Amino acid sequence: MIYLDHAAATPVDARVLRAMEPYFGEKFYNPSAAYLPAKEVAADYEAAKGTIAHAIGAKGADIVITAGATEANNLALSAVSLDGSCRPFSSPTSQGSVGDPLHGRHPSMLYLVTEHDSVRRVAERYGGQGIEVLPNGMINMEDLRGKLSDEVELVSVSLANNELGVIQPLAEIAALIREVRLDRMRRGVRRQLLLHSDASQALNLLDVNVARLGVDLMTMNAAKVYGPKGVGALYVAHGVRLKPVSVGGGQENGLRAGTENVPGVIGFARALELAHEHLNGNRKKYAEWRRILLSELEGYELINRKHCLDNFVVLCYNGIDAERLVFLLEERGVYVATGAACAASKGVRSHVLAAIGLSDSQIAGSLRLTLGETNDEAQIHEAARVINDVVKAEWDRLSGIKASHSWFF
Amino acid sequence: MVMKTVYVGMSGGVDSSVAAMLLLEQGYRVVGVYMKNWSRDLPGMKCPWAEDLADAKRVAVKLGIDFLVWDFEEAYHDKVVDYMLDEFRRGNTPNPDVMCNQEIKFKLFYEKAMAAGADFIATGHYARVEREIPLFEEHIFRRGKYGATEPRNDGREGAFREQRVFSLPALLRATDENKDQTYFLYRISEEALAHTLFPIGGMMKPDVKKLAKERGLHNAYKKESMGVCFVGEVGMKDFLKEYIDIQPGEIREIESNRVLGYHEGAVFYTIGQRHGLYISGGLPYYVVKKDVANNIVYVSKNLNSDELWTDELRLRDILLRQFDGDFLRDGVAFARRYGESAPHTSVVTSGSPQKVPSELPSHEIQVRLRHRAPLIPVKFDGEVLHFDEKIKRPASGQSAVLYDGEICLGGGIIA
Repeated sequence: MIYLDHAAATPVDARVLRAMEPYFGEKFYNPSAAYLPAKEVAADYEAAKGTIAHAIGAKGADIVITAGATEANNLALSAVSLDGSCRPFSSPTSQGSVGDPLHGRHPSMLYLVTEHDSVRRVAERYGGQGIEVLPNGMINMEDLRGKLSDEVELVSVSLANNELGVIQPLAEIAALIREVRLDRMRRGVRRQLLLHSDASQALNLLDVNVARLGVDLMTMNAAKVYGPKGVGALYVAHGVRLKPVSVGGGQENGLRAGTENVPGVIGFARALELAHEHLNGNRKKYAEWRRILLSELEGYELINRKHCLDNFVVLCYNGIDAERLVFLLEERGVYVATGAACAASKGVRSHVLAAIGLSDSQIAGSLRLTLGETNDEAQIHEAARVINDVVKAEWDRLSGIKASHSWFF
Repeated sequence: MVMKTVYVGMSGGVDSSVAAMLLLEQGYRVVGVYMKNWSRDLPGMKCPWAEDLADAKRVAVKLGIDFLVWDFEEAYHDKVVDYMLDEFRRGNTPNPDVMCNQEIKFKLFYEKAMAAGADFIATGHYARVEREIPLFEEHIFRRGKYGATEPRNDGREGAFREQRVFSLPALLRATDENKDQTYFLYRISEEALAHTLFPIGGMMKPDVKKLAKERGLHNAYKKESMGVCFVGEVGMKDFLKEYIDIQPGEIREIESNRVLGYHEGAVFYTIGQRHGLYISGGLPYYVVKKDVANNIVYVSKNLNSDELWTDELRLRDILLRQFDGDFLRDGVAFARRYGESAPHTSVVTSGSPQKVPSELPSHEIQVRLRHRAPLIPVKFDGEVLHFDEKIKRPASGQSAVLYDGEICLGGGIIA
């Protein structure tokens, strides 16, 4: 088996699993309980949050644990309209005073058109507007600048896209945001402007220091970095107000009530530690494997040429139905994705590939290979060979159809 | 020999997967088609279409055949869903699968496949087609079996059998009696049936599953396809709530006319139904009557209530199948030429129901009142089914399907 879909899921590292194990058994206590063993668990939990925070240059108190990246994105976008100036869906007349320059205008947000559905679908609720990307998948800064009207309260741009691995210039975006904030202050426009970034795909491959990136909110996910599924986190800069995911016992600073997922968070912390230890080595390794694939594969068009994560290889076999390739490769024990795994299973064309200007037939022929820790170099050579085989077989089948058609008509 | 082309409707389930595989092994050029009839999620229920599509496609790819997705959503909505909702609004309990086969699978799909160059269509239904002339033989396209001077089988005097016609095939019950699906197929057109293959109709379901496993198609192993094309039994209530304006109303005891309780909407209830009355204590109540106009559901504790039992059933939208030819079964040839002096003549062509001459049902035939229900002996006078013994009254809107032994004679909708 050769697994080339690490952007979809990663196996839990054995060391992570070992770290988690005691918290299912001997250390099962509810961190909120009063007796000493429970307090120890609470301390371990806080320490783990500290570790997660440390990995991104933050403090444990800035971290809200969630049940994955989707929930973290939902929580992050709830910041829109919660600075007190107005609320979503309220009638325009209830907002602000008549003298307010924003009187009667709904708040809104911006998001990169290539964002994951967990951002796009929430953004739609807030009347979000999409920011265009360039054909290489990078944000169109001019478009962002043009759309940063006074209504905008939040801008959401992922650090690395989940279908292409394209890395966005977060620091540059953050600089622009700061500029606009200052301008708003000068003009007396009292509306927040926050920068959110979904860093799920990049956590183990890039520098994700929140200060250097300049983000106010950042989404993380354990399942993409060899940690457990169902655990994520949102970095929340001091002073950002959010609407709770759930209310109840007041856990996670009152933003997400419910007994803490202690083993999950312990595992997440350990996974991030390991990711940081191996950050540079892994990048070099994946870059080399990517180079091998690109030189040994045949007859493809490379979609993500540059500014992308080292472990992402997105190819297009124009004229072939890539979904057929997925099933053929599956039979040969090679697991890959077409565009985004989610998009494929929903039967809709990838909005990401469409946004970078690919034609329908290019999108249909796109294959996403994401490399990771389950691979070794021999597997990469073997994968290239099998993919070449299968692509050739599919071309043969297609030319056979054409031949039989010409025979009939 | 020219390789014949078959377009197979593939749902992603084990039956249609094995059907496609068998056709391929029999030497056909096979094209798999996923019919996209419904893709809307309902509240609290995710429509499985994308998964089904992926399963169907995976099988097609493993078999190395072409695979197409044909979008019939609009037609399905117009012909099947609207029909179903109208029937419910009238207080009937329709069977959307029957309509789906008549209007979509064996009409739209059939027509589109033939236009695309198919010689046959195929599905994974458990049913059989009996043709008097074996497939692949050259004379299949030649004149009718009885020669150019043979009278047509439609009873018209002086008319002559046309050349180059199929003799009309018969629809037969499946070999696996437990899985027989002719109940859902009795309304499909003769023309479509003449061009239809049911590759697994002669197999037992466990053998189909076994074969799938042996040939590595066990990924097609899934839940059984649902009772209703797209909602399933459980989801029907939620589905109706979305589309039909439903008001709560009274539940009355039929004998006393006393109000016993309240219901969510009369359309949800079916005659004979025992559950969901929200009446506690004592013997269970049964729905015996629905007054949809006044939104009242009548119930009774009396299982012997006259409302629950009948020895007559009036049918509407009757469709009796037309078929002819000499069929060879178990080495014995027997003639079935409906329209001549066959045992019970029915000269009704699909879509234009006519009264059957009343003297003709000379011997008893059988009727099936629900999918998988036992066959019940019956006499049919062309409008009304007459039973020897009283039967539990089936829901109006369901189909009554007639059989002469294993031959499906057609049927009608219970009025």
